[in-house]
Amino acid sequence: SSVEQKIYVVLNETVPCVRLLNATHQIGCQSSISGDTGVLHVLETESDLDWILSSGPHPPYMVIMETAFFNRSVMMRMKNSSRVAGVAVIISKTGLADNFSPHTTCPNQNTGVYSESYGSDLANCNGTVWNPLGNGLSYEDFSFPVFALKDENQTQVLRKCYEDHNQRVNGSAPQYPLCAMQLFSHMHAVTDTVTCMRRTDLQNRFSINPEVLCDPLSDFNVWTSTRPLNNSAKGHAADESVVIAATRLDGRSFFWEQAPAAEGTVSGIVTLLATIQALYPVTQEAPPPRNIFFSFFQGEAFDYIGSSKMVYDMEKNDFVIDMNNVHSMLEIGQVGLLSGRSLWMHSDPVSRQNKSVDTEVSEMMSRIQSAAAGLKLTVDHPSVSQPLPPSSFQRFLRARRIPGLVLADHNTSFTNRYYESMYDDAENLNVTYPPGLTPDEQLVYETDAAKSLAEVATLVARSLYLQAGGEENNLNNITADPKIVAQLLYGFLVQKNNSWFRSLLPPEVTKKGVNSPGPPQFYIGLGPRVHGPAHSVTRFVQYILANLTGTVTNLTESQCQNPSELSTENKDLFSYFWVSGPASVNGTREPFCVRASVRLSKAVSPAFELLEYGSRNYSTWTESRWKSIRARIFLVASRELEMLTLGVGVAVLLLSLLVTYFISSKAELLFSSARETPTTTY
Amino acid sequence: MDLSSVFFIGNIMNLERIPNEEKLSLCRRYYLGGFAFLPFLWLVNVLWFFREAFLKPTYTEQLQIKSYVKKSALGLIVWVAVLTTWITIFQHFRAQWGEVGDYLSFTIPLGTA
Repeated sequence: SSVEQKIYVVLNETVPCVRLLNATHQIGCQSSISGDTGVLHVLETESDLDWILSSGPHPPYMVIMETAFFNRSVMMRMKNSSRVAGVAVIISKTGLADNFSPHTTCPNQNTGVYSESYGSDLANCNGTVWNPLGNGLSYEDFSFPVFALKDENQTQVLRKCYEDHNQRVNGSAPQYPLCAMQLFSHMHAVTDTVTCMRRTDLQNRFSINPEVLCDPLSDFNVWTSTRPLNNSAKGHAADESVVIAATRLDGRSFFWEQAPAAEGTVSGIVTLLATIQALYPVTQEAPPPRNIFFSFFQGEAFDYIGSSKMVYDMEKNDFVIDMNNVHSMLEIGQVGLLSGRSLWMHSDPVSRQNKSVDTEVSEMMSRIQSAAAGLKLTVDHPSVSQPLPPSSFQRFLRARRIPGLVLADHNTSFTNRYYESMYDDAENLNVTYPPGLTPDEQLVYETDAAKSLAEVATLVARSLYLQAGGEENNLNNITADPKIVAQLLYGFLVQKNNSWFRSLLPPEVTKKGVNSPGPPQFYIGLGPRVHGPAHSVTRFVQYILANLTGTVTNLTESQCQNPSELSTENKDLFSYFWVSGPASVNGTREPFCVRASVRLSKAVSPAFELLEYGSRNYSTWTESRWKSIRARIFLVASRELEMLTLGVGVAVLLLSLLVTYFISSKAELLFSSARETPTTTY
Repeated sequence: MDLSSVFFIGNIMNLERIPNEEKLSLCRRYYLGGFAFLPFLWLVNVLWFFREAFLKPTYTEQLQIKSYVKKSALGLIVWVAVLTTWITIFQHFRAQWGEVGDYLSFTIPLGTA
């Protein structure tokens, strides 16, 4: 293996693009089973593009793409060319265009509420194009591997190899040996989910060594309520009228497991968490008539996995409440880029044609307006004929026409210029910290974004309290704490391994360390079977909710695991969490047991339960499996030299065979010199 | 076509010292065995008894051996033609056949249609 180390330089940090499949298509990237090799070429100018696509003499090329060239036109030209072996995209802020969204222009257009039978003139973004800057790259199918280069040092290694060997001297082509790169990202699944699941079933039934080809995207939704709900009683809950407050938990980008999702997702999560923190004390002291049900839906980027599953469970009477319990719904969309403008309340024009629904929605809007009266925010509603933006509320509307609103910072199309891309990060949300702060100081520093989101959270909390029938004079006690918002923003956007998160997670997670540095990624992933008990973001939200809404108990660890043994504790109404606790001065922690009414509910598409892999109504997204994903660079010789070496080797082989044959047939003649030396016989 | 005669073969690759009746019986066994969907037996029959049937000076049993070798060769050619046709069609169209193609396959390649 030391010879191998002399030849290959292995690239350690690989960020691939993988294959995803749905009922009808495959998207993403695929490499050959033994990797794709190509001569490196850095794409910096238009002439480089011509060199790669037509004039370069050493195809196929492995393109190192500068940030500015990662757009639809260049990638489509690469896709249609046979001279491109793969692409490695440099991810950096230098040269980044003003906008970049690899998502489609009309997210989730086939699984929303608008279709031929419901608001047909609004379906397929006929009314409003929500993501006009979307170039749809994430939904294209590439037959070569595409990797991302996030690490600056690694990019430097590649550039150096290119400059040493592959650089053009005075316009003439470089000479062999040339620097080449090999990318391995062979995906097992093909065509679509139906094919892939069928082949997996066949393998499981008939093969000696069954291989699973793909896995459905799945994880958990997180939900809680102001009044605890009996988790073992499924179906309609008696005397419960519930206001649902919801947001999404996930995001995506072109590359696998990369989704900073700052404006797209984190703004909603942080706002809803701060809302819960603001609302909870008042709802315990002066409970409103209706229950408020908070829900964080996972998998919404992939055709509403989490919300469709919850609605499906509600309709099947397999959830703590059902659709008859739902009074209304308020969803928090993208709310991070307000910058002094107003918040918009989106409603569904089709259901509002019904008089009673229309009255309810108008009342809801006026409650929000009155809640906003004492705050620095303004709220407005877009034109009545405008449809709902892509939101989990659309799945609830598919089941029943309940009154509801979606809050967002955009009137018509998204203000987010980097929707579902790797550039939707802290900087996109204007979360920046002054230099020279320690991590703990950054954790509690209140940026303008934190203050703005705290305002929004206060508004949402007060509106929910009014919507649940609470008294107006209690409203002034409901305020979101900007410090908590700042901590949440730091933890979700900058560094997930911070002192606050460590104190509210269980000891085994804290001891093991929260794996990699940096912010958490919001891609849904494959769930508990592959990634452990729960995805890290789901787990963070669960434990944060336990911290914000739970009560500390003095149970021991074993009692915390089995609370049903104690008569004072109720496992049906509450969950019990054993958490680390804050670190004391000398670094030790004293764990304790928290009781909270926070639960997880499975977020896997109903299509996989019903075994309808080609379903048009539910999400059918699966992720392919693969054996290994790696990359390495090495020097390659010209084809002629390779053929020459092979030819010489074959010639030597034949020659040696001939010589051996001749010597063997003339053996007596050649080796007959034994007469001079007498042989000793025994 | 009992098993013992097949194992016996390993010891008598050289047909020189075998009496002609045994040669005929061997050839007949291989010819009949090939009908049990075993075209390789016919291939072995053709290759092994070719010299005996066509290149040696005539002896009594040679006529029958010749006929067995010719019929084995015919059966072999038919099998080769059928298999080549079916394999070509299957390899070309398996991906397009979708579900049927998957049910007909023993091992489905990963990552390609």
